[in-house]
Amino acid sequence: MKRFLCLVLVALLSFGQLTGCTSTDTLDEKDTSAEESALKSIYNGELERSVTLRVLENDTAIQQGYFNQLIDAFNEKYKEYGIVAVDANMDERSNLADDGPYGYGPDVLYQANDSIMKYVKGKHIYPIPAESLEYFSQIPDNAWDAYKSEVDGKSYYMGVPVNVQTSMLFYRKDMLPNDWETNWDDNKNKVPDMVENWNALYKYSKSIVESGTGKYGYMRSLFDVYFSSGFLFSYGGYIFGDHNTNPKEVGLSAGNAEVGANVLLKLASVMNEECIDDSITVNGYSKIADGTYFATMTTPDVYTLFIKELALEYEKQGKSKEEAKALAEENLVVAGLPMLPASGDLTEENPELIPQKAMGGINGYAISAYTKAPNASLAFVEFATSYEMIMKRQELLGSIPARSDAAKAVGGVSEIVFNNLNEGNIVVMPSVTEMVQVWSPTETFFADLAKDAFRTSDKKYTSTEKIKSGLKVVDQQILDAIHTLSN
Amino acid sequence: MNMFSQKIEKLIFFKKNAGKNVKASICVMGLGQLMYGQIGKGMLYLTILACGVLYLISRGFTDFVGFFTLGTKEKDAWFGIEGDNSVVMLLMGILFIAAIILFISCYLSNVRDAYETQVVVEKGGKPRTFSEDVRKLLDDKFYKVTLSLPIIGVFVFSILPIVFMIAVAFTNYGGNIVPPKLVDWVGFNNFIQIATLSQFAPTFGKILNWNLLWAVSSTFLNYFAGLGLALLLNKKCVRGTIIWRAFPILAYAVPGFITLLGFRFMFSYGGPVNQMIIDMGYKAIGFLDIDAKWMARLIGLSVNAWITVPSIMLLTTGILTNLDMDQLEAARIDGAKRWKQFTKIVLPFVLFSTTPVLIGQFIGNFNNFGIFFFLRGGLYMDGYFLASDTDLLINWLFNLSINNNYYNIGAAISLVIFLITSLISLLVYVKSPSYKEEDVFR
Amino acid sequence: MKKNKFLHAADSVITHSTLIVVSLIFLFPCLWLILASFSKSGSIYTYEGFFPSEYSLDTFKTLFTDTAMYNYPQWFMNTLQIAVFSSLIGTFLVILTAYTMSRFQFKSRKKIMKGTLILGMFPSFMGMIAVYIIMTQFGLINNLWGVILIYSSSAPMGYLTQKGFFDTVPYSIDEAAKIDGATNFQIFQKIHLPLSQPMIVYTALTSFTFPWSDFILPKLLLKEKNLYTVAVGLMSLGETEFSRFAAGAVFIAVPIVILYFILIRYMISGMTAGAVKG
Repeated sequence: MKRFLCLVLVALLSFGQLTGCTSTDTLDEKDTSAEESALKSIYNGELERSVTLRVLENDTAIQQGYFNQLIDAFNEKYKEYGIVAVDANMDERSNLADDGPYGYGPDVLYQANDSIMKYVKGKHIYPIPAESLEYFSQIPDNAWDAYKSEVDGKSYYMGVPVNVQTSMLFYRKDMLPNDWETNWDDNKNKVPDMVENWNALYKYSKSIVESGTGKYGYMRSLFDVYFSSGFLFSYGGYIFGDHNTNPKEVGLSAGNAEVGANVLLKLASVMNEECIDDSITVNGYSKIADGTYFATMTTPDVYTLFIKELALEYEKQGKSKEEAKALAEENLVVAGLPMLPASGDLTEENPELIPQKAMGGINGYAISAYTKAPNASLAFVEFATSYEMIMKRQELLGSIPARSDAAKAVGGVSEIVFNNLNEGNIVVMPSVTEMVQVWSPTETFFADLAKDAFRTSDKKYTSTEKIKSGLKVVDQQILDAIHTLSN
Repeated sequence: MNMFSQKIEKLIFFKKNAGKNVKASICVMGLGQLMYGQIGKGMLYLTILACGVLYLISRGFTDFVGFFTLGTKEKDAWFGIEGDNSVVMLLMGILFIAAIILFISCYLSNVRDAYETQVVVEKGGKPRTFSEDVRKLLDDKFYKVTLSLPIIGVFVFSILPIVFMIAVAFTNYGGNIVPPKLVDWVGFNNFIQIATLSQFAPTFGKILNWNLLWAVSSTFLNYFAGLGLALLLNKKCVRGTIIWRAFPILAYAVPGFITLLGFRFMFSYGGPVNQMIIDMGYKAIGFLDIDAKWMARLIGLSVNAWITVPSIMLLTTGILTNLDMDQLEAARIDGAKRWKQFTKIVLPFVLFSTTPVLIGQFIGNFNNFGIFFFLRGGLYMDGYFLASDTDLLINWLFNLSINNNYYNIGAAISLVIFLITSLISLLVYVKSPSYKEEDVFR
Repeated sequence: MKKNKFLHAADSVITHSTLIVVSLIFLFPCLWLILASFSKSGSIYTYEGFFPSEYSLDTFKTLFTDTAMYNYPQWFMNTLQIAVFSSLIGTFLVILTAYTMSRFQFKSRKKIMKGTLILGMFPSFMGMIAVYIIMTQFGLINNLWGVILIYSSSAPMGYLTQKGFFDTVPYSIDEAAKIDGATNFQIFQKIHLPLSQPMIVYTALTSFTFPWSDFILPKLLLKEKNLYTVAVGLMSLGETEFSRFAAGAVFIAVPIVILYFILIRYMISGMTAGAVKG
């Protein structure tokens, strides 16, 4: 019966459009009507009463107690409607396309943009009436674009951006050389050069390694695409064509991407073999803490883990718990990524600098198409993305808000990242499903590249041309993986 | 041909001799039995008939149609349009076919039963009572009782999924075509697609070679190491066998994937093994990295042995308890050397009763997904089409299909692999003593 | 005579030293895991060589008390429930199947034997999609009994090992009992069940350990965190929770080791050589 009514409704709506607007530009009008009817058929504006919303949040938000505060506040506000939001109690990475159709999925979910957007093709999630949200203009287009998708010939917003996730430089302030203000600050801006550009960081790392104390400067597991691909992007490489939307074209070797890969190869030479596999990713926390490494690159959400390790280290040295924590927070600095030399030559003195691009992700809320209460779910999303909740989220989790008002209010790292996003230096992870095929070939390439720094006789990547052809192989592998077996 | 004509003859004979009660059973299940006064059995058959008809009316027919159409209406959640779920329909269709086969065999057994009763009555006997039937089922036909439960379970959770996957190999299910999109039958398209893929054959050949080598060598290693350990612990001079045996059990008690993750870490560049190597003043060794082809393979082999040997040891220990000690004693008195005792008595005995284990091991190792997935996953090598040089066919299959959601291609490749491997192991099994001469040791 | 004694001593030395080497091979990685679980800092990189620099019981304390996010005690109970029932039902079905296949001659017997062998070769993860859909149709997702049902009902597929064992039990016993007027059911109950004690113990142990450490099936069927098994839960731990991971992994091994010490006696001395032939 319900289905029938809906059909009638849809038919009536389009009929009304056809008869009513014959004189105006019909094509345009019809399109907007299609969009409106999709959103209209989902959201009628009336809150469902006495419903339970199962919300899938990320683990850190639950762990740090933010999620409880969020649902408590929401449940208080919507008490009169009997709407209750609860924890979906599922794996944060669970796949709605698997669970939803059989009734086991959450109503509202918080995931990264690439996860959420893969639900669009099967219409597993509902579009969001984004333009009618009061803070629509507060979120930059670059963030909205990650959630924009074309369905049935119209573009929709499929989720609401909440946080920006990207790589940052983490370093130990107390491990800077004592004379950095005189010898390592060429531009006299009171910021050490080694955290401002890769040439200085390379030089500093090299000097640490050569001092023979068993310590290292910058360390990072290089196979990790999330952190290494930025070097390719900075020199013209990209993942998919048409701003990462067209998987028929793969461009990791495009532009001068090989120059960026060469920078990685050079950086590997001042690390040890641990950069080949995932060793540094795992041991970075404790090795930064015990002073073996000076700096690494990772995402801001693991900040607390670094602090925990460093504080433990200070406690071991006899500091009290509070002292240790304060000291850790003072000495561990999170900064934006250093600038790259335009020439790609890390040994060049006074190079011309270009900003480093980095891969990033935008986490956000989406509404499951299997929910019984779309209006209440929308209310929850609106509530959870309000200025107050976003600020609280930032405060408790240290995550970087996608809202400009919140980012400005927080300042610091949040503002840097937000500006990077605005200026296009954060390459948002492609929202197309074909992305799953990118990881393995690219990881293999980076691992091979890192290994090459430690090969003695049979080096593979002795020239940029060879690197370029290596990248071309990767492009081809990705294309093969995506297209040869598709139907 | 001979058998066929015999069957026809039997059928003609049956047709000539079927009495009215048998004919009643042919018309309505259980009617003949009721007419013979076998109330319990007759009612049972009638109930089966009723259930069958009810199922057919309530959903059986739609399921059957659904099996061919795989859905006609696509779901659109945005406009509240309910649609068909092709995958569920495919599964229900298979279930329907199975149900029909079951129903027909019930029907046939009903007719056969009525006929048997008729023969008994004609010979002057009485129709069996219900309790007599039950008794017969518990004695002569005991196997029917004991096998029914396992067979149902195995059918639903092992056979049905396999039939489903075989069916999927002939559809376009996968990639972008997953529910709510509608799936269609495509015939042999998937197989043609694989066969015409030029990169497919060389990689398949290379991986199959390695996979066979891996399966054979790891099976032998695990089996003989396990057997050797069991025999060692069975020696009379060994004291405190329970304690000795506890060490392998310790390894056995830790879940396999945890062991694998542990070993992966141990052999990584930052792991303890390399740390010791560096402390001794040597260069770190990439045990599992991109260049470590044979090294990684060897580590895989030994780690797999580490995981599997304990269970083989346990098993052979259990089996050795059944070994005929008198025979060994007799051999010893006759002055047979240890080695001879082993090759002439112990080995044939153990081999006989563990050939199925050997085959099971072979299959398990052949399809050992976890070992290289955990130890060295996520690498695509030059010269391989989307695979690495330690990947087994099942890992490759995973890369090609599941990773990508190309279920149809995955199912088609599985079918190809399955045909090859099952043929090999079937040949081995049928030739083995434990199949041919089941009662050597009785 | 003297030479013989010397040979015996040499044999004993060689045997025992081999055993020591083998034991070390098995012990060392386990020991490493055990010590890691007692490591004071949560990370594995504060080690000196192979072993942690400082020890404490903290990890185990957090493992059992810090349950807000990772409810290990709950996971443990779930795993226990699944493993115990799967083992009980599964063992029963396997022994029954193996006994039947070994002792009865019937038409489709060889076909079933070949069939089950072949079925085991199908790459199992391909069928997982079907299993998932079947369970959604039965409404058994997020239900521990659903997992138990699958484990125990697919157990008979592995009956070949047990059948091999029954094949070695002399047929003469059956015949003697038959002459005494025992039914097939009685023969199974009174003679074969006691005789096959070692095999039953082996089967029970393996059908306990498999669900105990499997994570694919529970991951597929149990979506709610409080229904997780230990294996699934451990896999969901964050990457820096290494010592919690190690502690969880060590503790999960405890029941199996205990079970081994309880059951091994039945397995080894289940029968003496004479009992069979007598």
